Amino acid sequence: MRKTGRITRSLAAIFCCFLVSLARAQQTPPPVDSSLLLRIEALEQHAAEYKPGESHLMVVGLTTFGFTATTTKTTPPGGLSQKQKTNTFGDGDTYELSPMLLWRHGTKWLVEFEPSFTGGNLSVNWANIHYFAAPGLDIHAGYFVLPFGIYSKRLAAGWIDKVAPDPTGIDQPGSDFGIGISGGFPLGTMKWSYDISLTNGLQLQPDGELQGIGLVDNNPNKTVTGRLALLPISNSCLELGVSGLYGGVGDAGGPYVNANATMYGFDLNFVKTFQPVLVNIKSQWSRMLVNSQQFIKPTDSSNYTFDNRSTQTFAQISLRPVGASSPVLKNFELAFRYVNYQTPMSSFWGQNYHEEDLGLDYWLSWRTVLKCTYAWTHSANTSDLTSGQNGVITDMNKLYLQFSIQL
Amino acid sequence: MKNIRIKFTAWIMIAAFGVMLAVVGGSCAESEKIRAKTGAQLWAENCQRCHNTPSPSSFSRDQWITIGMHMQTRAQLTDEERDKIVAFLRQ
Repeated sequence: MRKTGRITRSLAAIFCCFLVSLARAQQTPPPVDSSLLLRIEALEQHAAEYKPGESHLMVVGLTTFGFTATTTKTTPPGGLSQKQKTNTFGDGDTYELSPMLLWRHGTKWLVEFEPSFTGGNLSVNWANIHYFAAPGLDIHAGYFVLPFGIYSKRLAAGWIDKVAPDPTGIDQPGSDFGIGISGGFPLGTMKWSYDISLTNGLQLQPDGELQGIGLVDNNPNKTVTGRLALLPISNSCLELGVSGLYGGVGDAGGPYVNANATMYGFDLNFVKTFQPVLVNIKSQWSRMLVNSQQFIKPTDSSNYTFDNRSTQTFAQISLRPVGASSPVLKNFELAFRYVNYQTPMSSFWGQNYHEEDLGLDYWLSWRTVLKCTYAWTHSANTSDLTSGQNGVITDMNKLYLQFSIQL
Repeated sequence: MKNIRIKFTAWIMIAAFGVMLAVVGGSCAESEKIRAKTGAQLWAENCQRCHNTPSPSSFSRDQWITIGMHMQTRAQLTDEERDKIVAFLRQ
């Protein structure tokens, strides 16, 4: 009994000692690293000073370079073929350096400016300002790519394009000075978008060709260009577009004062993964017409006329095994493109041009690609008989090795 | 005669364009299914319409806002799509 009491007293003493030590431990803070306190203070000061601001300027852009080896075979009607081989690093399809400045003020204003060093020339791809006025209403002005078709505005960048060259003839109507509106809206489970511009337009040359007029308009007429697109499937995998352009193209007071150009076109964009392959189909068809005029032959300055109608077509498919288990295999992409470009028969630049491209790409990252493209082109000259070129056949085989990166 | 035909075709095209805008624009509505889509879903569906899907780590949070506006001018994304995709990429 006495023994039990002693044990109880001892336990009570130990418990008291523990409580006293615990209370002391709570009163005395552990020693702290003073350098850590200084770092925390500096971080707190830095966080207090950070203010995002309304303006934001950034530089993105792209660069593309490569090598092209070409074999050209020219066959005059009834004559012997001539072959020529060339190769170059500085081809327009393989060299481009285009830094792009994006300057945002809040979430309503955006300036886009892209100078470009392409094919040895310094130019500007676009320089414009956007005002996001309301949901689905982007008002823009300046120098921009005209909203015609799908290729020029969205697919032309080297790090986006699946094969090395651009489709011949698809660059019309190009870029221009003016104003425009664009936007996208939901439509049930579908979606639709519009993109319309009013610009200076094109200029008709004496031989019947059209070219961009640039900053100073040649007549008081303005050119309307527009594209309307529908994405009928809820996951946006299919896009169908229709484009149109209309405007006067003759110089004011000149012989072509009544000349006008009309363009219309259709495009298709389909991207969907059928495990394990990502299928990507893109296509565009367009036609350009200039109303009947008397043109001037470059050879003897006599008058002549022809049906001034050009047609541009491209269709491409690319396959990428994104679901492959091999990390190397899933970065390969196989691409094929068909191109047809027909310029007016009996003009001085008439030709019927076909091109097939077969490409194998390797994606180093989502925005960095190595491309190897082999292209077969066949062009039959359909120009005026007096040009001396009518009936000449030109066949070209081209090998492109290209690297492209978006920065 | 040909001149008149081309002009007529052009005006028909412009008129058709206007009618489509009015009809389609007047009935704009978003289904529940579309409204429920996440930023990640919209990122996967829309970016690859033109190029490979970008990695969120490619740009900073401020940069993604600017790039979202630039992409809207190219691909005519709806405002809701842009906002959701940018929110996802800024995470």
